[in-house]
Amino acid sequence: MSQTLPRSNRRALLIAVPIMIVLFPLGYSLVSSLVAQGAPADSEVFLERPVAEHEACVRETAYMRYHHWELLKQIREDVVRYGIRGDVGLKKCSECHASRERFCDRCHDAVSLFPDCFDCHYYP
Amino acid sequence: MGVDRPNPAVRIEPDLKFIRALNVQGADTLKKCFQCGTCSATCALSPDSDPFPRKEIVWAVWGMKDRLLRDPDVWLCYQCNDCSTRCPRGARPGNVLNAVRQECVHHYSKPSFLGRWVSQPACVPLLLGLPAALLTLALLAKDPIENALGISAGAEERIVFAYSSVFPHWLLNAFFGFFTFLVVVVLITGMARFWRAMKAEAVENGNFTPRKPLLPSIGATLKKIITHRDFAECEASRSRLLSHLCVFFGFAGLSLVAIWVITARYNPLIQDDFAYPFGFWNPWKILANLGGGAVVAGCLLMIWDRLKNSDDVGPGSYFDWSLISAILVVAITGFATEILHYQRLEPHRHIAYFVHLVFVFSVLIYLPYSKLAHLAYRTTAMVFAEHTGRTREATSPAGKMYGVKQEGVNDVANTAAEQ
Repeated sequence: MSQTLPRSNRRALLIAVPIMIVLFPLGYSLVSSLVAQGAPADSEVFLERPVAEHEACVRETAYMRYHHWELLKQIREDVVRYGIRGDVGLKKCSECHASRERFCDRCHDAVSLFPDCFDCHYYP
Repeated sequence: MGVDRPNPAVRIEPDLKFIRALNVQGADTLKKCFQCGTCSATCALSPDSDPFPRKEIVWAVWGMKDRLLRDPDVWLCYQCNDCSTRCPRGARPGNVLNAVRQECVHHYSKPSFLGRWVSQPACVPLLLGLPAALLTLALLAKDPIENALGISAGAEERIVFAYSSVFPHWLLNAFFGFFTFLVVVVLITGMARFWRAMKAEAVENGNFTPRKPLLPSIGATLKKIITHRDFAECEASRSRLLSHLCVFFGFAGLSLVAIWVITARYNPLIQDDFAYPFGFWNPWKILANLGGGAVVAGCLLMIWDRLKNSDDVGPGSYFDWSLISAILVVAITGFATEILHYQRLEPHRHIAYFVHLVFVFSVLIYLPYSKLAHLAYRTTAMVFAEHTGRTREATSPAGKMYGVKQEGVNDVANTAAEQ
């Protein structure tokens, strides 16, 4: 018996740990959602609306939503490789989209994307 | 079997086709058996009355297909191979029962031509081409249907780099939902036929006496399955327990994530943070990655066991290898899809996802005909065994008696090891 007891304990652990891991997200989401039910509804919008400093963005909204990183990369290439310094840059973006935390990071965090733009460029 | 039961003479008509089929499926050692009964004596799972696998080996040698296909005991074996490693003749009873289980799957899952295809290596291109063609057809039908119903493809407001641009959710849910329904129908009819056959056989032998109501039997069986209680009794190949646990809980986690992803978006009680899409550190995403990792680890462990410890685990048949490789490819292409997505590689991630979907679809639609069908038929046999009291606890005169038998078995094993 002294030999069989630890083995059965080990097996209980071998079963209990995966069951808890599998069920954790379910419990966590249900409990968090239920707790949030009582709280007042979050009135803040997901992305902060731009301050109307300019009439329109440099491109239309659909393009900016799906391709803004390509535009920024193109601008970087123009400046660094060809010395063409145009009007548009991150500093210009911040004139309307004032908060990095409430605008850029909202989406980037949601999809676990960590762009390295802000490692060098200051963006308030 | 009652003592006073008349013992009528039975004319045996060997089913040669059946014996040959068993031979092909890894039971080529079958005829070496000289009926010593060591297998039944060493089996830790065998009940005290009418123990297995000895009687099944005789039936197999004699080609008594009907009896084997109506026998729940075949499915109470987990091929731990304690019997195969101790068989003095090398008849490998574990492999024989495995081959019989494959025949059982092919017998009860209709239509049977699909079962034949799944068991032949030559049919692999056909088996993979079929899902690829069906999925391609569904994708071709995507735009016309979207135009007709007025569904806009860019409906996923919160996702910038979405998969749904090529594989929209409505299409995948409808496509996989329809085929899942077909598979469930095939499995339920197969299980019902298997149950009726086992019951008819037991009634014929005069030992069909329900000991436990059906619902508690199902409950006890599910508990046994989740805790792997009987599986854990293995001596010869304990590593199989670990690999099966990995794949089992990996699959459980992934299935739960899949159900959650499909339903949570429509659940008004659930906050947006916990509905699809998920960030990398969302609990659901973590569970999905852990589950996928567990499936890969479990499959690799299974392959390692079959290559390195084939004496203990068994070398594996085509039936066995095809399932392990299909599941491994599902898990690996799943990770490839995820990695290519994070690398933002535009056509590549969709190609990986397509291959992933083809293999997921293959595992799903061929489930009733592949080794994965054990999740239906083994469960049915286990419930039947609980229902009719064909378990160790019920057949041993007292629970304590079993401990004595176990000690004796270990002594035999120890002396064998010393020699």
